[in-house]
Amino acid sequence: MKFHIEDVTVYFPYDHIYPEQYSYMIELKRTLDAKGHCLLEMPTGTGKTIALLSLITSYCLSKPQSPMKLIYCTRTVHEMEKTLAELKILHNYQIKHLGPQARILAIGLSSRKNLCVNPTVVAAKNRDSVDAGCRKLTASWVRALAAENPDVSTCEFFENYEKAASAAVLPPRVYTLQELRASGKEKGWCPYFLARHMVQLANVVVYSYQYLLDPKVARIISKEMQKESVVVFDEAHNIDNVCIEALSVSVRRQTLEGATRNLSRISQEIDRFKATDASILRAEYNRLVEGLALRGNLPITDNWLSNPALPDDILKEAVPGNIRRAEHFLHVLRRLVQYLSGRLDTENVEKESPVGFVASLSSHAGIDQKTLKFCYDRLHSLMLTLEITDTDEFLHIQTICDFATLVGTYGRGFSIIIEPFDDRMPHIPDPVLQLSCHDASLAIKPVFDRFQSVVITSGTLSPIDLYPRLLNFHPVVSRSFTMSLTRDCICPMVLTRGSSCSDQLPVSTKFDMRSDPGVVRNYGKLLLEMVSVVPDGIVCFFVSYSYMDGIIDTWNDSGILKEIMQHKLVFIETQDVVETTLALDNYRRACDCGRGAVFFLLPERERNFSHFNEITWNSHVCCRGKVAEGIDFDRHYGRLVIMIGVPFQYTLSKILLARLEYLRDTFQIKEGDFLTFDALRQAAQCVGRVIRSKADYGMMIFADKRYSRHDKRSKLPSWILSHLQDANLNLSTDMALHIAREFLKKMAQPYDKTGSSDKKTLLSQEELEKLGDGSMHEMSY
Amino acid sequence: MNNGAGRRINGGAEEDDDEDDVNGDLDAWERTYTDERSWESLQEDESGMLRPIDNQALYHSQYRRRLRSLSSTAARIQKGLIRYLYIVIDLSRAASEMDFRPSRIAVIAKHVETFIREFFYQNPLSQVGIVTIKDGVAHCLTDIGGSPESHINALMKKLECSGDSSLQNALDLVDGYLNQIPSYGHREVLILYSALSTCDPGDIMDTIQKCRKSKIRCSVIGLAAEMFICKHLCQETGGTYSVALDESHFKELILEHAPPPPAIAEFAVANLINMGFPQRAAEGSISICSCHKEAKVGAGYTCPRCKARACELPTECCVCGLTLVSSPHLARSYHHLFPIAPFDEVTSSHLNNPNCKLQRNCFGCQQSLLDPGNKPGPAVVCPKCKRYFCLDCDIYIHESLHNCPGCDSLRHS
Repeated sequence: MKFHIEDVTVYFPYDHIYPEQYSYMIELKRTLDAKGHCLLEMPTGTGKTIALLSLITSYCLSKPQSPMKLIYCTRTVHEMEKTLAELKILHNYQIKHLGPQARILAIGLSSRKNLCVNPTVVAAKNRDSVDAGCRKLTASWVRALAAENPDVSTCEFFENYEKAASAAVLPPRVYTLQELRASGKEKGWCPYFLARHMVQLANVVVYSYQYLLDPKVARIISKEMQKESVVVFDEAHNIDNVCIEALSVSVRRQTLEGATRNLSRISQEIDRFKATDASILRAEYNRLVEGLALRGNLPITDNWLSNPALPDDILKEAVPGNIRRAEHFLHVLRRLVQYLSGRLDTENVEKESPVGFVASLSSHAGIDQKTLKFCYDRLHSLMLTLEITDTDEFLHIQTICDFATLVGTYGRGFSIIIEPFDDRMPHIPDPVLQLSCHDASLAIKPVFDRFQSVVITSGTLSPIDLYPRLLNFHPVVSRSFTMSLTRDCICPMVLTRGSSCSDQLPVSTKFDMRSDPGVVRNYGKLLLEMVSVVPDGIVCFFVSYSYMDGIIDTWNDSGILKEIMQHKLVFIETQDVVETTLALDNYRRACDCGRGAVFFLLPERERNFSHFNEITWNSHVCCRGKVAEGIDFDRHYGRLVIMIGVPFQYTLSKILLARLEYLRDTFQIKEGDFLTFDALRQAAQCVGRVIRSKADYGMMIFADKRYSRHDKRSKLPSWILSHLQDANLNLSTDMALHIAREFLKKMAQPYDKTGSSDKKTLLSQEELEKLGDGSMHEMSY
Repeated sequence: MNNGAGRRINGGAEEDDDEDDVNGDLDAWERTYTDERSWESLQEDESGMLRPIDNQALYHSQYRRRLRSLSSTAARIQKGLIRYLYIVIDLSRAASEMDFRPSRIAVIAKHVETFIREFFYQNPLSQVGIVTIKDGVAHCLTDIGGSPESHINALMKKLECSGDSSLQNALDLVDGYLNQIPSYGHREVLILYSALSTCDPGDIMDTIQKCRKSKIRCSVIGLAAEMFICKHLCQETGGTYSVALDESHFKELILEHAPPPPAIAEFAVANLINMGFPQRAAEGSISICSCHKEAKVGAGYTCPRCKARACELPTECCVCGLTLVSSPHLARSYHHLFPIAPFDEVTSSHLNNPNCKLQRNCFGCQQSLLDPGNKPGPAVVCPKCKRYFCLDCDIYIHESLHNCPGCDSLRHS
């Protein structure tokens, strides 16, 4: 359908539109008009992606003179593929209506792992080895060598791509990753480099957060994006954590040992070069004297990483004299590694600011701040000079230099924390030195500064006023939309106490109550009752691994687990990715065949960071890639989600304490506020996965008495809150059970999908035209 | 028709297996309230006033929807009049739950009885068998046959519930039986499922495909909540899936399966079937009836082939196996083939229209179609004769009468 929003004609590929999509587009359009940033919350399953794509592309079409570009950031490859598929439908529709002038070029950019078509390279097991494998074939010196000696192998796809040179462009259309690989194969061009080249020309680019937020990557990939671009961060509820991770480094014993090995290898290489061809080292020296900025004209394949968030002026400075010579630089690094390993030997937890750390480093190891700042670039340059291609072997020393550069660059917003052992396992010495970033705005600031409009959107962004403070920006629009539903298909409940016929004991995972046997038993009872009335799949979230282990143990001893198993199979998430993937696979099968199952899971944060990211990114590695991509528990895979406890972060963690302190001092965000915000965001994220479309239905139980308090509850997203009736705020197990039965029966009845006249949830073109702009606003609330 | 109050009471008190000790803990006055949950039959209106839930409108809208879905396929459709139906009753642990009063299984038994009678009333040419699932195993309680009494008696004797439930075992068993029946018959399974899970020995998806291949139409009525596998089964085999809200809804749902479904195209070929039309024996004649094996006075039917005596029709002769029906039975099947078109709803403006002044009363019961406040109430109009009817008459005409009084009177005059 085709309709107007103010002066823009919007092309929407479907015949009907949800009212909330329409109001979403209006807000988005205002943001684009104002050339500002915005925050929009709209529940999943309401077609956020297509609303975004359709409005922004239509906006570009209506203003052909401005070179506007859409940069769409997703979290996983799977989401990237979905977005491109939607865009394809939209693009076909626009071409049908507007003809060839609507043609755009849209591509997805991913890592070599996902794009490489060279069979020998892509067979490698992880991302870093694919990268290294590619470099071995495509580095400039390898190719130079191959030109003389035909025995040196190169990548034919890359060679063809280089030969085609400027002719290597893709005709404008929408390419999914699959199609990109296919067309690369067909033409014999390397899809990865082709995509990287085409990013500069494309109208729509879909890629991962890292390409914009991680300064190391962003400077290569995204440096030529024009200011007029619109940046969209989809599913951005954890964006502050992504930003922080991008700038945090942790150093362990293994890292230091690996770094030492790397250093001796580098020194061997240097000796070898000195013996054979000393002039190369001399040339490098001269180049460094002239300054790093001149290094800009390196061939595309050689620049692999760049400097983490360095202010521009540093690049124009010359490298300090004491690290210009390769041997000297090695000495500095050796001293640094030695110093770090000395620090790791501590018995106590230490916390230091970067300034203090640099001061002590310079007095003990004689390395000053400026030297530290240049470590990363200097290492990069050295490795290029030494023609090292197996970069995956050198990750450790890269980590060290990354650390050094960050410490040298930032005086504020970071802290260095050394912990001799993990708090949860005090007997096992596992010293770790962490440089943790507390300020999410550091990484995202360049994005806000550089691009005209940044759209941050997700299904759960509540409380929406906290994000601007955390990320330190001023949105022109921040709105939260609710879902228009034909029936009340979500049923959130707050369960505060045990069964009214037994003890009525309040349930909570509060620290002083969580080990109370009565509480554990009441949680067990709750689950037991629920498995007997809820069909198919139930998902149960716990606050942490240790808590989950403890409670399952108790349930096992008291026989509750056995009783649960009479009704449903039980699956438990473990720290092992493959095991969990397998469990998930079997869970789905149990739901499909009617046996029914319960899955004990943890909130996203509790998993080792990037643990699940890893699965989704490397979905081709896992043989069961299909299972791993995006864990939704919609339809019969999750008729009920039970959130046991409030998923607060581990408040004794030193990093968290340091961050809280920083937030309080810098942004005036109270500790309690931030913790509650973070916990509720996790909880909403957990329960939000139960419903992914309007035809679906599901129940959510928040099992903790603290949820009934207004300050906690009010931080839930409005689309959940609007269905949370006052009567369901303080339930006991048996009351919840009764509500569940009634709800499930009600939802099993056939219903009318379009909604009756007073509760319209699907608008056709005529209906949309009938609605004046004025009346539209009332509908969306 | 005020079934709402009863409905609430039944759906009301919900406890689990530990029901007994629950009530033990409550005070006497509490118990009456937990049982009745009378507050749930009230709802708040816009101004915050309490009023009873409007069941009438709900009931009628449900009926209209059903009617529409039934007639959505073309009006003159071939129906499968000769049906071979297996009723699968789940007697697993879940069937003994007491969310229906007195228990699920008692409610099921009661309504299966009415269903079997209604089924034979509407489909005199069809046959029924009963299968039960208990302890994960499916048993054939009665073989397929045409006598309602024998099925009902057999069922009433076996109502103990225990163990798990297995959908696959039941389907396998029924599939084995139904594969043997002649090709003109329509194979159907109606599953009354209380459990929320199924413990199967193998892959149930294979069994579903098998049923689909042997053209068995599987329908499920759930008593607790929607299960994916049941929905899948019904979708694959062309049956219907529904979940009962309460006892009266369950009754409605099960009776929906009484009228014959549309015929499957491949089976819709002309066929001759052997059938006997027995004579009613003279009053006062004494003979031994073949079904109960005892002497009876009068009121029996004699098989035209072997002269054995049967107590009631329709049935299958115990001696020669001939299907015994009476001609009214055949006539009764007839209306399925020529249903009356569903009536259209009348907009209120029509009733106010002075041109249609005549049509202010229901043509059926002659009651005024206007509300007490002289505002137009809900009404329907027959698309053929354009007569107006009230909602009660609408239901009566479609469900019991099977003739439109308006059209019939037109024809006569």
